[in-house]
Amino acid sequence: MSNDGIDIEGGKTRMEVAYGAGDGDDEAKATVARKEAELGTIFEQSYRPWDGELGPRWTRNYAIFRHHVYGLFRSTGHRHYHPMVRLTIFVILLFSLMPVLMLFLASLTGDGFMADAFSRMWGINRYNLWGQVLGYFPRNLCCWPLLTALVVGGMISDDRKNGTSAIYFSRPVTRLDYTAMKYLSVAVVLGFVIVLSYFVYYTSAIVFNGEGWAYLIDTLPMFVGGLIAGILVVITYTSIGLALSSISQSRFFAAIAFLSVIYGTKLLALLIETQFETSILYALSPYDCLAQIGQWLLGIDSNYDHPLAFSLVSIITINAVCIALLAARVSSLEVTRE
Amino acid sequence: MSDKTPAVLVDQASKWYGEVIGINDVSLAIDGGVTGVLGPNGAGKSTLFKLLMGRLKPSQGSVRLFGIDPWTNTSPYRRVGYVSESERMYDWMTALDFVTTLARLHGMTREEATARAEHVLDFVGLSDVQNKELGKYSKGMRQRVKIAHALVHDPDLIILDEPLHGCDPIARTSIMSVIRELGSQGKTVIISSHILEEIERITEQIVILHNGRLLALGNLHAIRALLDKHPHRILLTCDNPRHLASEFISEDPVYGVRFPEGGKLEIQTNDLSAAHAILPRVIVDSGVDVSAIENPDDNLESLLGYLIGGDS
Repeated sequence: MSNDGIDIEGGKTRMEVAYGAGDGDDEAKATVARKEAELGTIFEQSYRPWDGELGPRWTRNYAIFRHHVYGLFRSTGHRHYHPMVRLTIFVILLFSLMPVLMLFLASLTGDGFMADAFSRMWGINRYNLWGQVLGYFPRNLCCWPLLTALVVGGMISDDRKNGTSAIYFSRPVTRLDYTAMKYLSVAVVLGFVIVLSYFVYYTSAIVFNGEGWAYLIDTLPMFVGGLIAGILVVITYTSIGLALSSISQSRFFAAIAFLSVIYGTKLLALLIETQFETSILYALSPYDCLAQIGQWLLGIDSNYDHPLAFSLVSIITINAVCIALLAARVSSLEVTRE
Repeated sequence: MSDKTPAVLVDQASKWYGEVIGINDVSLAIDGGVTGVLGPNGAGKSTLFKLLMGRLKPSQGSVRLFGIDPWTNTSPYRRVGYVSESERMYDWMTALDFVTTLARLHGMTREEATARAEHVLDFVGLSDVQNKELGKYSKGMRQRVKIAHALVHDPDLIILDEPLHGCDPIARTSIMSVIRELGSQGKTVIISSHILEEIERITEQIVILHNGRLLALGNLHAIRALLDKHPHRILLTCDNPRHLASEFISEDPVYGVRFPEGGKLEIQTNDLSAAHAILPRVIVDSGVDVSAIENPDDNLESLLGYLIGGDS
């Protein structure tokens, strides 16, 4: 062994350098990686800092919203909806627009018996406006609950199951933003089918029949009543659906539980009414509460014996409980908050 | 850093899960460079990371990221990139879509997000497969995607929870290279791992936790030097260990020698630097051929063993 490269007096040797033996003994502080430790590099990294400005809160929230809604239209880059789910939602949308087709056919038939029959069946009146949103069969038996179940199924339960909510919560996204945007996403999809189809139905009746301002002014209050009822349906179904999604780790459970709540309460109330001739238990059925409120909004005689106030209080309570449950469950996502 | 506030400040923080202690009275400040957080299972590493990421509220004490309490305010996360151990991804997305989507969660425009996602995917060596679905990625590639999405908004603080877990050697080498590069860029990088050798290759700045307590913080060798009751050892492989031992035994820093096996000499000292300083001269004077010199206990594994109570 030669003396080359050995600094005996200074106490620094190649061995020290090689093994890092004296490195940092006298100064314990954060250090970056040692150069001599760069072993096994198989590609060159050149990290380029970014000097742009991160956007404000609404842009982040919009990103969450669009991620969930755009997935219905695009296969890549957004929340994944199964093709069958998308197809079913499309069929429900088409079905909800069926009266528009009938109105169009009625406008072609002239003034005969057929036109009269078409007009009674699908023309604009209080009952048809109510039925477009709140009719039990087929809309509230087959369409809206199924639509809601498909949309809310994995909305939060997938995050809970897969831990993907961590993706949001390790970013400057508050739990309120996360919940609000999920809620808005579901409400917009439901609204797109329920409220938009209602709006198109009303508008097409005016257009196809060539109605004027007087007709518009005459029917507008009814339309607004139905619109409010439709919005209440969207809000209530969204609240219940998301609350159920937030308490489960399975999209199947959330969907089935939602259908069970809607159909189960209705069936229970129906059985009680049949046996005891009281409609009071319909106050537990979200659909029937909405139906009674819708009848009041559109000025239709109520089908129910119990006071309207029961349904109003019930709907407010159902929404409040569901939103409280949703908030509590989202607060515990990715958290062990003992 | 543009300000004097440390990236991470934990002040006498404790977290109890009922009767179970998560961490107990931990205080530390970390700012700049790469820091390894080490400890056996149940040491409190995950609890510490959850506290940093605002997923737990300390039972006592405080946690601050850039001077802000992450439990009550998410704004520090604009400057934090987090790689979770268990974080799942959207497997139906391509890596580019995934990272772009997450960039937009920071409020970037579509163009900015796409450009930035392409850059960070290139940085972690995935540019050639960025349009492949994540579900088809290997474990190592997925880990690199997680690092890419943590970097997409150019954070000042990067927290990596077991980023090397489950990776093959090539992927580990790649990820370590990325982490070293980030440290050399002036970022604050906190990394936990069970693979001690690889932490050693990334950094010498370590935090050691055990049973929820902070056992040591600082430079690996500085900590080792503080452990007076465990003498340092230098292992020499040579052709005449007994003759070499007779030369060493009279030197001041050396207080003992052993012959662990044939052809090897173990020198025991309390002052490793001084021992290394005399080592070349004594070897040259002895005329013995030395083929290898090792410091068997000046490494992380030995240090953990000493601190936690075992014997390495």
